[in-house]
Amino acid sequence: MATDRTTAPTDKNPHRVLPPSAKRKHDVNRKRQARLGWYFSTPALLVVAGVTIFPIVFSVVMSFSNVQVLGSGFQLSGATLNNFGIVFGSAKWRYALAFTVIYTVVTVTIEVVLGTLIALVLERLRGVRGWMMAMLLIPWSLITVISAQLWNYIYDPTYGAADAIFSALGLGHPVILGSNASAIIAMMVADIWKTTPFVAIIVLAGLVMLPGDVYEAAEMDGSNGWQTFWRITLPLLRPTIALAVLFRILQAFGLFDLPFVLTQGGPGYATTSLAVLGYQAMFTNLSFGPGAAVAVTTAALVVLGCIVFLRVFRAQVNQGEEN
Amino acid sequence: MRKRSPWHRFGLAVSCALITLFVMLPIYWMVVTSFKTDAGVSAPSPQWFPNPLSTESYVNAFVNNSFGRYILNSVVVAVAATVVVLALGTLAGYALGRLPMRGKFITLMLLLMISVFPAIALIAPLYLLMRQLDWLNSYQALILPYAAFNLPFAIWILRNYFLGIPREMEEMGRIDGASPLRTLWSIILPMALPGLFTAGVFTFTACWTEFLMALSFNSSNDFRTIPVGIALFGSPHITPYGTLFAASTVAVLPIAILVLVFRKSVVSGLTSGAVKG
Repeated sequence: MATDRTTAPTDKNPHRVLPPSAKRKHDVNRKRQARLGWYFSTPALLVVAGVTIFPIVFSVVMSFSNVQVLGSGFQLSGATLNNFGIVFGSAKWRYALAFTVIYTVVTVTIEVVLGTLIALVLERLRGVRGWMMAMLLIPWSLITVISAQLWNYIYDPTYGAADAIFSALGLGHPVILGSNASAIIAMMVADIWKTTPFVAIIVLAGLVMLPGDVYEAAEMDGSNGWQTFWRITLPLLRPTIALAVLFRILQAFGLFDLPFVLTQGGPGYATTSLAVLGYQAMFTNLSFGPGAAVAVTTAALVVLGCIVFLRVFRAQVNQGEEN
Repeated sequence: MRKRSPWHRFGLAVSCALITLFVMLPIYWMVVTSFKTDAGVSAPSPQWFPNPLSTESYVNAFVNNSFGRYILNSVVVAVAATVVVLALGTLAGYALGRLPMRGKFITLMLLLMISVFPAIALIAPLYLLMRQLDWLNSYQALILPYAAFNLPFAIWILRNYFLGIPREMEEMGRIDGASPLRTLWSIILPMALPGLFTAGVFTFTACWTEFLMALSFNSSNDFRTIPVGIALFGSPHITPYGTLFAASTVAVLPIAILVLVFRKSVVSGLTSGAVKG
């Protein structure tokens, strides 16, 4: 499929003529190149659009429709705002929204602080830095489901490592995933463990690229390490950290794998994220209308957040465009 | 700042040790557990070292259960999606980076928007589409969406690499009378090889770890990928962790090796995102 599409354009577009220097011919050449550009990008854009635009539109339609579940599938009949009414009126959704937001804020904050600290340590290393960075990539590349099962085992009330640690400290045998607060904290720990290294790598990459002469100037001015960090390193790192934060917020808003495997959204619905709620509504309860409303609201929040971010960081995006 | 007092070096060493512990301890725990006997896995006081050392979990995972099949499924889907992404992403990335097209900026922004769209918003319609096509429980049910979801990032990465290649290289190809596709293939592409590695590693990793779509579209035993197999293994009350971690250890290996071999590409991928926004 891929090769058919990619080789086709060349036959229609023999581009073997030398580019003449005359202005008019130059324009013709430009036009031809522009057409070639669309030929080149159409296959990719078609695949992306086919798999994403249709479902996005359909999701929105579904969220505004009466969805009737039939034996073999479901049917849309009539427009309605009921789905959003049900969703906004549901305590479970409001909880999931609050949970997802708080979870995101807490984990991303801790991950950025810890990740920056790790990056600052690694930046000072010489020989072993490559190895340390390689090590940081391992949790990043780990399947989230595996890390969820791993933490599930660690938190196990009878033979988990965490339980052994707690009882050794004389804290008894708490059922970590059994009560709301501790389940939420346990999930955050699992998340922080897996994602802090990712933040550290991004921040480290940003650190390494900071111009060295600024530091020399600071040193000559008698600035100490602490001042240098707060007045020079941190401000210069701001775009890098902002990007890491954006990545993390986007990921955290889609939070699904970890609660699905680690807690199944429980106990009760204490760790039910927006994505888990949407999935349960659609695939467990077969309430596709409200499920779609949950999904669409989540997506709208994410896109809104992105637009705000792009507005703030527009200058950098445009810089890349000028070339 | 460049002075290295013994205290400074000591602090660094301790910090490094702490970081290593923080990152590696859970991984170590997973690998060690996979080599324990069932009794060792559920020992009331955790064993730091498997005693006795046993491969029974590996036999359970790959002989008595279908984890071999799940890994094969993951390989097929991830490799196919990566090939599609690299082929289509190279063409599109080149066009959007180098050719004078109108609406380039809008297209790139749209791609960026699409790539941040949470998968949960698309899952129900995609499920219906797959059912309509009779694609549920098939490789293409994952290959196509994986390709689509990873193309935007690949296009951005490759575009950034193409932007950095001097224009004279294309002129050279044109003077030699090579077609644009030929020029791209034999002159431009070799120079953008790091970009290809980066896009490839990121796509492969994303496909290897993806869970939501794999769970929704391919839940039959024959077409489960490794994350689905691991998530759905066992009963609600008994999770055979030894078997799970044997399968997990094998599933972690290829991706860990890939990421370690291409670690420069991975880091540069993360970095180029950071630089170019």
